[in-house]
Amino acid sequence: MEKTRNPIAKVGIHLFLIIFTIYSILPFYWTTMQSFKTLKDANSRTPKFLFTPTWENYQELWLKSVPENGYMIMFFILLAVVLLICMALFAEQFPWPNWVTVGAVLLGFASILWGIPEVVDTAEFYDYFVNTIIVTVGTVVVSITIGCLAGYSLARYSGYAAVVILIAALGFRALPRLTFILPYYQIGNALNLLDTRFLVILTLVAVNQPFTIWMLRSFFMDIPKELEESAMVDGANRLMAFRKVIIPIMWPGIISTALFSLLLAYNEFLLVRILTQTNWTLPVAISRYTGGEDPRHLTLAAAAAVSATIPIVIVILFFQKNLVKGLAAGAVKG
Amino acid sequence: MKRSTFFQFAAPSIFLMTLLMVIPLIMAIWLGMNFITFRNITEPEFVGLQNYIDVLTDSRFWSAARFTTIYTAIVVPSRMVLGLAVALMLDQVSKAIRGVYLSFFLLPFIIVPIVGTLMFKQLFEASGLITWAYRVIFETRLPYNEGTVKTLIMLHGIWYVTPFALVTYFAGLQTLPSDLLEAASIDGANWWQKIRGIVLPHLRSLTILILLISIMDSYRIFDSIFVLTNNLNPVFKADTLMTYNFSTATQFQRLGKGNAMAVITVIGIMIVLIPNLIQSYREQIEER
Repeated sequence: MEKTRNPIAKVGIHLFLIIFTIYSILPFYWTTMQSFKTLKDANSRTPKFLFTPTWENYQELWLKSVPENGYMIMFFILLAVVLLICMALFAEQFPWPNWVTVGAVLLGFASILWGIPEVVDTAEFYDYFVNTIIVTVGTVVVSITIGCLAGYSLARYSGYAAVVILIAALGFRALPRLTFILPYYQIGNALNLLDTRFLVILTLVAVNQPFTIWMLRSFFMDIPKELEESAMVDGANRLMAFRKVIIPIMWPGIISTALFSLLLAYNEFLLVRILTQTNWTLPVAISRYTGGEDPRHLTLAAAAAVSATIPIVIVILFFQKNLVKGLAAGAVKG
Repeated sequence: MKRSTFFQFAAPSIFLMTLLMVIPLIMAIWLGMNFITFRNITEPEFVGLQNYIDVLTDSRFWSAARFTTIYTAIVVPSRMVLGLAVALMLDQVSKAIRGVYLSFFLLPFIIVPIVGTLMFKQLFEASGLITWAYRVIFETRLPYNEGTVKTLIMLHGIWYVTPFALVTYFAGLQTLPSDLLEAASIDGANWWQKIRGIVLPHLRSLTILILLISIMDSYRIFDSIFVLTNNLNPVFKADTLMTYNFSTATQFQRLGKGNAMAVITVIGIMIVLIPNLIQSYREQIEER
């Protein structure tokens, strides 16, 4: 709509938006503050807005013992991460093909992730963090791979079977997780897969699949048929045409869908809680800090909550446009 | 595309969905007909429809159903009205500032629900910011009883899903037909007339979709209430269908009854959903 010219209305709108911003971020602000307080400051009945910030909550959460040259180790880890991100950003500039750079960056991140416990004495929370990354990445990769194949074929095949699958998927998307919990437990028990990441990833992919195929299908529908048809006239078979012609222009849609899979896997609580005893992910680990007898739950929980939020905020900062686009296009349809 | 090619491409996805959604659903219906505790989890004992009857005559189940309905009836419309209002205002702001506002507004929606709930809860701890503000303003302690706890649960529900309605409406506003709006301006229509005559009709189909998704999501709300009030739900009569279902299965160890309850909930969801499914089916048949 055209914008208002009335100055009073303009001021009013900004005022309202600022109040809504405060309303949206108040819990984040407060929790971040609490996470930097000592237990005594955090428990003060009159909130302390001015206090000496301390890292001790984060230290207790992530480390069993504090290393002597902690700052140097942290500096080198940060340096390595920044280098890897720069490499990923400038992948196009290198003389070798892109996938070499991408592979090297991924390998670099994996070795940092697994290397840290060799150098520093990390606490359990770090293990849950690594576990969460494995489960999330695994879910996204499997779910997007099989989802792309299905979404593409659903966009191109107009037979009755496709309609039936789409409608069934829509129905299954609405079902609560609790319906599947005991059957999943029984299946995991029978196959001896309980407490494995494999089972968690597989069930997360399945639970997420209806949404994924609907969203990817809607993106594939926007790509004209003629593209792969001309490639197939030139002698490529359908799978080759799909890989070489369609996938390269699908990246924006794939990234949008992948973001939603990532949020789902990173956020899942119920499935992980029931299907694992030790291989927890962050939501299950964090839920243990809520409402305990232990008075430290206040500050430790705050530090844990902030720690779990930062990776997601970083991902979203990079891909906010894709997320908004996905919400607007696919999420609504699915 | 040929039928055989279609099935080749879709096979992995169909296989996984059959194995881990269709079969488990059938298992769930059957397990609901068994007496199961953690002791005989591998050898269920068949009891027929007993569990289903137990659920339907359980007063706590109906009280949970009532609270879930009230929760949905209050939270969903508030969320949509607030989302639309903010989206309309955001539309009035210049493009550069929009992005900044949007990233703040999205925060409650993107973070882990468990974590968001925990952060929300921190405000209401004994040393929390709102607890303190309440004491300063009203000069009495913030009481925790059935009424306030239920209000808190609903406030949290509005807080964390409003961004979804907001962003979807905002995207819908970007596709408004500008020629219609110009014509209306030339005819001297005021702001409210344009909203009623052009904007709201344009957003109609979006509204139905947001409504459906929101109803289904608040119907099966679990994570946040589980964390927010933990074991205190029965005290405040603030159990929802899902939290009561969960405690039936874990606390009371009546796994069969829990499953029967889940199946009954599914039937409840289907009553809301089936008209929509039929409509999507018609659309898809027409589209091909």
